[in-house]
Amino acid sequence: MDQITGIAHQIASDFGLAWGKFFAQVIIFILVYSILKKYAFGPVVAMLEQRRQRIADGEAKLEKIARDAAEAKQNSQAILDKAEADAARLVKEADDAAKLIQERRQQEAVSSANTIIAKAREAAQLEQEQLMSQLKREFGRMVSDATSRVTGKVLNTEDQTRINQETSAQVSA
Amino acid sequence: MLLTFLPSTSFQPLLANVHSYASELLKEGNLSFLTNSLLVAAVVVGIILWFSSKATKNMSLIPHKAQNFFEFVVEFLYGQVEGIVGAKIAPRVFPLLATIFIYILVSNWFGLLPGIGTIGWGEGTGFMSVKEIHDPLLRPPTADLNMTFGLSVSMFLVWLYVTIKEVGVIGFLKHTFGAKGGLKGLMGAMVALVFLFVGVIEVFSIVFRPVTLSFRLFGNVLAGENVLHTMSGMGGFIGSVLAPFPFYFMELLVGLLQAIVFTLLSAVYIQLSTTHDDDHGHEEAHH
Repeated sequence: MDQITGIAHQIASDFGLAWGKFFAQVIIFILVYSILKKYAFGPVVAMLEQRRQRIADGEAKLEKIARDAAEAKQNSQAILDKAEADAARLVKEADDAAKLIQERRQQEAVSSANTIIAKAREAAQLEQEQLMSQLKREFGRMVSDATSRVTGKVLNTEDQTRINQETSAQVSA
Repeated sequence: MLLTFLPSTSFQPLLANVHSYASELLKEGNLSFLTNSLLVAAVVVGIILWFSSKATKNMSLIPHKAQNFFEFVVEFLYGQVEGIVGAKIAPRVFPLLATIFIYILVSNWFGLLPGIGTIGWGEGTGFMSVKEIHDPLLRPPTADLNMTFGLSVSMFLVWLYVTIKEVGVIGFLKHTFGAKGGLKGLMGAMVALVFLFVGVIEVFSIVFRPVTLSFRLFGNVLAGENVLHTMSGMGGFIGSVLAPFPFYFMELLVGLLQAIVFTLLSAVYIQLSTTHDDDHGHEEAHH
C-alpha cells in the first residue's frame, strides 16, 4: 500500500498534479459547460427541432397540396369531359335542327316554286286564250272585211257572225 | 518498478526539454494554481464562448454563417451521442459530452499555434532571446494532467449520477456483480461466483477509467508537443521551419482523434452502465 501511495505521489510530483491546479481546471471546465449548456446547446437544439418540425410541416403541406392538385386535376378533367360531351350533344342537336330546317325550307321552296309555276301556267293559258280569242276576232274581222271587199257586198250581222264562227273554227283547228 | 523505470529512461539528448507539468505563472503566494496551461485554458474558453455567443445571437430558421457552422457541429455530435447512448439518455448527457469534445479539440489545436510553448523565460543569450525555454508563457491545456484529470473526473461523476439515476444503486450492483444466463443449481452458483469475480475486476476497471482517459489524452498531446519542439530545434532556421511542417498535420489529426476518443469512450461508458439487463435480454431474444 505504501508503495502504491509512493508511486501516486511520484506521478503527482512528476506531472505537477496539485489540488489547487486541479480544481482551477475543473472550475473553468464547469464554467464553460454551464454557459454552453444554457446559452448555446439549448437554443441550438431547440432551433434544430423547430426547423425539423417546420420541414415536417412543409412536407405534410406539400403532400396535401399535391393531393389537392391531383384531386383538382381529376375534377377539372371530369368537368372538361362533361363539357365535351355536352358540346358534342349540342352540336349534334344543332346539326339535326339545321337539317330539319333545311329540309323544311327546301320543301317550302319546292312547293312555292310549284305554285309559281302553276300560276305562271294559268296566266300563260289565260293570256293564250285571250290572245287566241283576240286573234279569232281579228281574223274574223279581217276575213269579213276581205269577203266584203272581194264580194262587194256589205255583210250583215248574221253573215259576219257565221264567217267569224267558221274562221274561229278554222283557226282553232 | 515504475519508480526505477522512469528515472532510467531518458531521451534528453534527442528530445526537446518539454516539461511534463505546467509552469506556475505566480510562484509566490496563494496564486500558485495560476499556471500557463490555465491561462491558455481561459483563452480557449473565451474563444469558445465568443464563437458560441456569435453563433447563437439573432438565431433564425435561415441560419447565418456562424449559426450554420455551430448547428452543423451540434447536430453531428448529437447524432453521434444519440447513436451510442440512445435517445432517452442523449438529452441529459449531450451538453457535457459536446462541451468535452469542443473544449478538448480547441485546446489541442490551439496548442499548435506559434508561440505556444516557445515564448517564455529561460537562460538569456541576448536581447529577447534565450538558449532554452524553461518556463513557457503558454502551454496547451491538454498537456497539463490537472486539466485532463479534471475532465475525466467530471466525466466520471456525471457517469455515476446518470447511472444511479437510470438504473439505481441496486440495479448498478446487480448489473456489475449479478450472474447472467439464468442458470440454476450448482452450475448457477459457480457462474454466480465467476460473475462476482468479474464484477470486482469491473469495479477496478471503472475506478481506473478517469486515470486511463486523462493519461491517454495528456500523453498524446505532450508527445506531440515534444515532437514539434524537437523538430523545430533541428537544422538551423530552414530546418526549424521545414522539419516540423509534416508533424503539424499529424498533430492536427491527433488533436481531433483524441477529442473523439475521449468523447466516444465517455459515451460508451455511459451506455454500458445505463443499459438495462432487460434490454439485453430483449436484444438477445431478437438475435
